[in-house]
Amino acid sequence: MRLIRLSGPALGAVLSLSCFAGCDNSKIEVYRVEKEHDSQTAQITEASGGSSGRGTVTWQAPADWVEQPSSGLRRGTFKIHGKDGGEAELSITAFPGDVGGLLANINRWRGQIQLPPLAQPDLAQVVTPLSASGRNISFVDIVSTDSIKGGKKSRILGAILPLGDETWFFKLSGPDELVAARKDEFKKFLETIKTEVTPVLASSAENSGSNTNAPTPPVLATTAAQFEYKAPPGWIAQPLSPMRLASFKVTGTNGAEADVSVVSLSGMAGGDLANINRWREQLKLPPLSEDDIASISSHVNMNGHDFLVTDLVSAERLPPLNHKMRIVAAASHQGEQTWFVKMTGDVDLVGAQKNHFLDFLRSLSLAGATRSDESSAQ
Amino acid sequence: MQVPPVRTSRLLNNMMVRSLKACGRALSSLRLTVVLLGLSMVLIFFGTLDQVHLGIHAAQAKYFRSLFVLWQPVGAAWRIPIFPGGYLIGTLLFLNLVAAHGTRFKPSPKKIGIFTIHAGVVVLLLGELLTGLFAKESMMRMDIGSAQTYSEAPRETELAIIDTSSKDDDLVVAIPESLLAHANVIQHPALPFMLKIVKFMANAALAMRSQAPDVPPSLATTGIGPNVVATEIPRTVKQDERDLTTVFVQINAIQGPLGTWLVSNALGAPQSFDYDGHTYELRLRQKRYYKPFTIKLLDFRHDIYPGTDIPKNFSSRIRLIDSRQKEDRDVLIYMNSPLRYSGYTFYQAGFDNNDKTSILQVVNNPTFILPYIACGLVGAGLLTQFSMHLVGFLRRRRP
Repeated sequence: MRLIRLSGPALGAVLSLSCFAGCDNSKIEVYRVEKEHDSQTAQITEASGGSSGRGTVTWQAPADWVEQPSSGLRRGTFKIHGKDGGEAELSITAFPGDVGGLLANINRWRGQIQLPPLAQPDLAQVVTPLSASGRNISFVDIVSTDSIKGGKKSRILGAILPLGDETWFFKLSGPDELVAARKDEFKKFLETIKTEVTPVLASSAENSGSNTNAPTPPVLATTAAQFEYKAPPGWIAQPLSPMRLASFKVTGTNGAEADVSVVSLSGMAGGDLANINRWREQLKLPPLSEDDIASISSHVNMNGHDFLVTDLVSAERLPPLNHKMRIVAAASHQGEQTWFVKMTGDVDLVGAQKNHFLDFLRSLSLAGATRSDESSAQ
Repeated sequence: MQVPPVRTSRLLNNMMVRSLKACGRALSSLRLTVVLLGLSMVLIFFGTLDQVHLGIHAAQAKYFRSLFVLWQPVGAAWRIPIFPGGYLIGTLLFLNLVAAHGTRFKPSPKKIGIFTIHAGVVVLLLGELLTGLFAKESMMRMDIGSAQTYSEAPRETELAIIDTSSKDDDLVVAIPESLLAHANVIQHPALPFMLKIVKFMANAALAMRSQAPDVPPSLATTGIGPNVVATEIPRTVKQDERDLTTVFVQINAIQGPLGTWLVSNALGAPQSFDYDGHTYELRLRQKRYYKPFTIKLLDFRHDIYPGTDIPKNFSSRIRLIDSRQKEDRDVLIYMNSPLRYSGYTFYQAGFDNNDKTSILQVVNNPTFILPYIACGLVGAGLLTQFSMHLVGFLRRRRP
């Protein structure tokens, strides 16, 4: 029995890996990328004052602010010296997203100078809206109630600037007296801020469309039509094809067969009339006009989805089985997708299975889902 | 006479155990080891010879990264297995080794060295299998000053159908070459039309029709296709050449066919058409792997020894920008000093365009560590085994 214990899991693992070896990588991938610009080469802006993938911010600092080397997350750092030897620091940082929002960031600063957090209703009282380069800046001025450092109260002048997909933070912090004295100067500094969201592009004749203007990662998303269902009894699931999201075969007592397919197409897929006429053509029936649709189809609501259900019977026996054929089909528009559920087969069998077909429609839960997925593009 | 149900199930259990034991004995047989090693030698011999005809990558896929070596008679559409492939032999060798340990080896401190060596061999076999299955190699070709977010497979192509209607981004539906080669009709929920593959050529020679006026009319009805003559030629086996995959593809909307296009990775510019208020681009290109970060080529250097043309150093100075991880730094990539980032390894692989273009090889191998572990295990096992023998030998010599 020791042999079985040892080789059982290994056997399973190796056989399943061997199955992968036989699989063909033939999956269609769907994703979104930033637009390419042929004959253009991306040049990431190197403007003074820092740059980012989403936006560029430049500023003019007063002459007596001493610029420090930027490091790590810092897009800019300045030291401001007071007459009494005190020192304040202006830090400029940028982070993707809203970094928790205005309230969270102001409360973070309040925490740094040992102030209690504010509630959302109090926010309007402490935030002053400013404007620079046509963009809104949220400005706050907070001072500690107790001495924090060197027996002095601390003050923070903060400005928050949302820009593209990023949020920029300008924080002047230091001894209360020094920072308060520089408040107007800091506000003037904020007014000098200039922003630009799109990167500067420079042409290069040597490129032939192999470059992108994307200094930041593209937003990749795999779109996939997703749905859930419950197959009625006697419906045998069939292998899927690139067209079919679900496929079933139904066999009658006399050996007659019917085929059920579920297909999802983007957009309106040509419209209801074109689809009904396509199905009619499959049954060798003449095409109808828009006015006739109401007479041969009906709208039904199944599980919250509106379906246009059509029931068509051929006028004559059709090859290859020389049976009269019937199509019961349902179409539903969900978001940007149009779903088709169709049963085709022998007229008697499809008639007998129609209730099962309607049960199947009732069991469907349809969605046009989008999920972020980086590896699927790789 | 009726057999009680409990006895039946016991009989069945005994039969299962007996057959499993028989299976285990066969798998653990030393004869099987010898046969498998012999088959490996034959496989390597013929696989190496066939590289002349197939090239290294196709020979690897046919002989070593397959369950069976398949043979296709000239003119036939079917293939039959004629010899076990590398995956099958490797899997059986692996099972043989594990089964032999299960049946013969009794755990004992004296055998720890042997056991470690075998464990190393098992890890090596698994490592090769997993590398074959999961490792991806691609290239990043960049001009100085340009930034790129994707790498390209050197030998695989894809048909990209790009909906360019949105102002902000493009929706790409990428259909792999394997599907183009074997499918007649392709439909996908993201496409409001169907694709019919009229003709697929794995490799083709393209010429302008003005240069070959006597050839029959093109299968293409729209785009640049009617002006191009495509002649199918055998796949290239040369390392420094790539196939010019060419496909005639008909686009069928609900109203009927929109036309037949010739698409090829030999064509520089994409072709486009409008349908249902959207503009679509058709582009057959090398398969792309997008990354969640950007690489910008700042500079490329091709240093030579003074007074000679002998290369001394190739290096690319790049900037790595990943706003998700807050990375924004310069990196120097040079021979034997790759950049390892986010599961990818970027090697300096080549250059072009009078030293203005650098080519980086991008390798994503989640199991790259396994061969190192295997070598460590085998080394440690050998050392343990020899040390134990040495100690025993010295003890015996002591008077």
